[in-house]
Amino acid sequence: MSEAVAQKAAEQEPEIDLSLANKIIDKYIDMPGNLMPVLQGAQDEYGYIPRVVADLIAERLNVYPSQIYGVLTFYAQFHLKPRGRFIIRVCVGTACHVQGAPRIVETFFDKLHIGHAETTEDLRYTFEQVACLGACGMAPLAMVNDATYGAMTVQKVDEIIKDYNQRPMK
Amino acid sequence: MVNLTIDDKQVTAPKTATIYEAAKLNGIAIPILCHDKKLKPFGACRMCLVEVEQMKGRQIPACTTPVTEGMIIRTSTPDIVKARKMVLELLLLNHPIDCPVCDKAGDCDLQNLTYEYKVDANRFTDEKFHHEIDYNNPLIERDMNRCVLCGKCARICDEIVSFGALTFISRGIETKIGCEFDEALNCEFCGSCVSVCPVGSLLARPFKFKARFWSLTKNKSVCGYCGTGCNLTLGVKDNKVLTTLYDENQGFHNGQLCVRGRFGYQFINSDKRLTKPLVRKNGKLEEAGWDEALELVAARLKDAGASTAALATARLTNEELVVFKQLLQTAGCGNYDHSAGYAHAALTEGFAGSFGASASPSTILDIQKSDLLLVIKTDAYETHPVVGFEINMAVKNKGTLLKILTDKSGKLSKLPDARTLVHTPGSEIAIINSLAKVILDNKLVDASAAALPGYAALEKELAAFTPEAVSAQCGLTAVEIKLLASAYATAEKALILFPVGQAYPGHTAALANAVANLALLAGKLGKEGGGVLCLSEKNNSQGAVDMGFQAGIGAGRIIDGCADGSITTLFLAGENPLVSYPDHARVQAALDKVEFLVVSEMFLTETAAMADVVLPVCSFAEKEGTFTATDRRVQHIKPAIRKVGQSRSDFEIFGALIAKLGGVAPGTPASVFAEISATVPGYTGMSYASLGVEGQFAPVELKPAFVMPNAPAVTVEPGKLALVTGSALYHNGTLSQYGEGPMHVCPEGYVEISRADAAASRFAENDLLTVSSAGGSMKLKAHISARMPQGVVFAPYHFGANPVNQVWSGAPVTWITLAK
Repeated sequence: MSEAVAQKAAEQEPEIDLSLANKIIDKYIDMPGNLMPVLQGAQDEYGYIPRVVADLIAERLNVYPSQIYGVLTFYAQFHLKPRGRFIIRVCVGTACHVQGAPRIVETFFDKLHIGHAETTEDLRYTFEQVACLGACGMAPLAMVNDATYGAMTVQKVDEIIKDYNQRPMK
Repeated sequence: MVNLTIDDKQVTAPKTATIYEAAKLNGIAIPILCHDKKLKPFGACRMCLVEVEQMKGRQIPACTTPVTEGMIIRTSTPDIVKARKMVLELLLLNHPIDCPVCDKAGDCDLQNLTYEYKVDANRFTDEKFHHEIDYNNPLIERDMNRCVLCGKCARICDEIVSFGALTFISRGIETKIGCEFDEALNCEFCGSCVSVCPVGSLLARPFKFKARFWSLTKNKSVCGYCGTGCNLTLGVKDNKVLTTLYDENQGFHNGQLCVRGRFGYQFINSDKRLTKPLVRKNGKLEEAGWDEALELVAARLKDAGASTAALATARLTNEELVVFKQLLQTAGCGNYDHSAGYAHAALTEGFAGSFGASASPSTILDIQKSDLLLVIKTDAYETHPVVGFEINMAVKNKGTLLKILTDKSGKLSKLPDARTLVHTPGSEIAIINSLAKVILDNKLVDASAAALPGYAALEKELAAFTPEAVSAQCGLTAVEIKLLASAYATAEKALILFPVGQAYPGHTAALANAVANLALLAGKLGKEGGGVLCLSEKNNSQGAVDMGFQAGIGAGRIIDGCADGSITTLFLAGENPLVSYPDHARVQAALDKVEFLVVSEMFLTETAAMADVVLPVCSFAEKEGTFTATDRRVQHIKPAIRKVGQSRSDFEIFGALIAKLGGVAPGTPASVFAEISATVPGYTGMSYASLGVEGQFAPVELKPAFVMPNAPAVTVEPGKLALVTGSALYHNGTLSQYGEGPMHVCPEGYVEISRADAAASRFAENDLLTVSSAGGSMKLKAHISARMPQGVVFAPYHFGANPVNQVWSGAPVTWITLAK
């Protein structure tokens, strides 16, 4: 890793350990078309793509930084800001909508004090409303990371938040 | 060739043509927005839709569809016209109709097409964009509200410039053109994106609100900066050059320009231009009449006779150099030289020995025809950016192999599969000798080589340059040298490129000899796409060499002569040795000492300020004559504007002085060119008419021979850093200091250091460092970069306010220390 990148990293985002990104780059460095797996790997490590990581990837893969940014903003799967430890997704598709999904969404907004696609300051939660989670029989539906919560009610929102408030951040 | 029918007309077109190209070739216009002949087909805008009978009448884009035998194409059926109208309606949905204040009006493809297709109403309604306009740099304004997403800017920045500043960001309706992390544009500022933008999204800020496009007179000229010899179109109004205009059909470079060519024109109409002669009276330079000034100079030249010496810039026209020579001979002066004389020894002395001609055997056009390019110093990109574009295109589009032998990496190193060998500064000649040695040892020698004079001697002399011996001192491994040698020798067509100039003292006659030996041994000469191309620094460096403006003791000893009193009168035509010659203190002392100093200049430069008489001269845009580019392309320039103030051309000044000295003044530049074409080898038979708009190559007749390069060993001073000087991308010589564009982007000198050295000494970006050498010390801002190897620092030389020659001795490598 080059020193100026490291130095810049230390100044801007002290918590970012570039050795993780370097490990991912090392793994794919000789593979043609390596940008996507490297970005995906970096996002898995950091939860998002920090600026310094994007710069490091640009330098080591010899890809224009602008091009990396183009890819990052094209795909919905990449995030440029830190994301919460727990990603709450509430379906607002047709079936969930008629079963009262808007009330569920509103309740999450109120309890977490964040809106759609936002993250709480403590980085515990990111909230997203999504079009369909593919389980309309369980409407209204919510997911927290990989766990599914069907037949959601306003009361269940409270329970979920209480539960996840107690879970460890790492 | 294939036969096809376009709009009921039987036509033929090459097999590789697209429908658009076939139509254009046969005089049928198909409207385009996103297409550019220099770029790969993209098919984004759908303006070029046509109907092809064989495709069941479907509407297909002409710019991306290749022609096939028997194709029947219709380009303007009612359905097609309707479709194009709708494309325009949809584009105009978001595009603001702010044409009255848009600088693009009159030259805008969208405006012209809207007019052509009479789109006077829109069936749709939508909101306009509300993107923030990027005013963060002084040269390029980015207004993404006007953007039609043709992608030409992003593509040219990638495909030709290889900088990649711009790209498509986001997706769907939110898509826009932007930079990384949606930041402000911060790039090379070559303005290629501005030149191809079909709307007013990318505009040249220096031209904002200066004139309407249609009120400009478009005058063709040739760029006055480097030796590439790019063709320019100057936009003139009220006797002022207000902008440079893009013409995709101009020159070998198809209108591509660099930051200097596109944004560096302001010196022509600069307020700082000298408009009246200046004569020193009571120690002060005061305005005077031409008669008085010329009388004084003539009288002085008459008195001084043989103790006169002269230095000319290689920016003068061929005709001016010839007349200057005549003036000096009339005055009895036997010592004259030009910047390209002492700085281009590779060309003059080196090539003369090796090739029997002081010119490069290859041309810029060979770059894209080559199989392998060996570039010595990545600075070739900085010194000659448009040549750099040619290299980019060769590597990216033609798969040309790129090998770089350099003391620091650079932009060229980032090209796909480019192999950069970073050696210790000053060791390039030894490495090239070693490459030649490998070719000899591995029996890769071309059949033609053994018969050339000097072969046996070379074989003997190269014995010491085994890769193992050379690798010990150059920072490369023996294996790297061997691999490079065999790649070079086995390539069908291989071209060697290297820059020369005042800031490249290591690129001497010896380097030229070494390079020539290599090319001759491997038999690379005389083939299209192969050979050697030396990139000369100034726009007429090659011309100055061809005109033979070099006699007597040479520039270095002329300066010494001024200091020791043997030269009493010095005539400097456009030279600024105080800034551009090595060892500032020595030049200063010499100019202080010389009894009488005449300077003919556009500006009151640091050197002109010391003169006894300053004669104001006009710029290239105000005069007539010819320039010879680095590849011996002779080009004709005509005045684009009338002369500024009372300035005169050097041609007129020298002519007037000849008359005052009792000689016969030359007639016109045309008559002098006729004389040149009758006497200068290679120029035979040329005339203004034969030069045309793009110029004519003066052929180079080769008498090759092997000349063993006489390379002095580079001494190493332990504990110190190796300072290599060179050109910054944004500048050329000291003239670009008077171009606002270059000065906005790169206003002052700097010292570029490796990350490792910066970290070790705890230097941060922009720290003011004291640079000390045996010759002196100066302060320069630190610039930390990834491209510098540890122990090597770089500094550009262009800046008069704080010239690097205060520490730079003129040796290929100056050993320095840095302190905060």
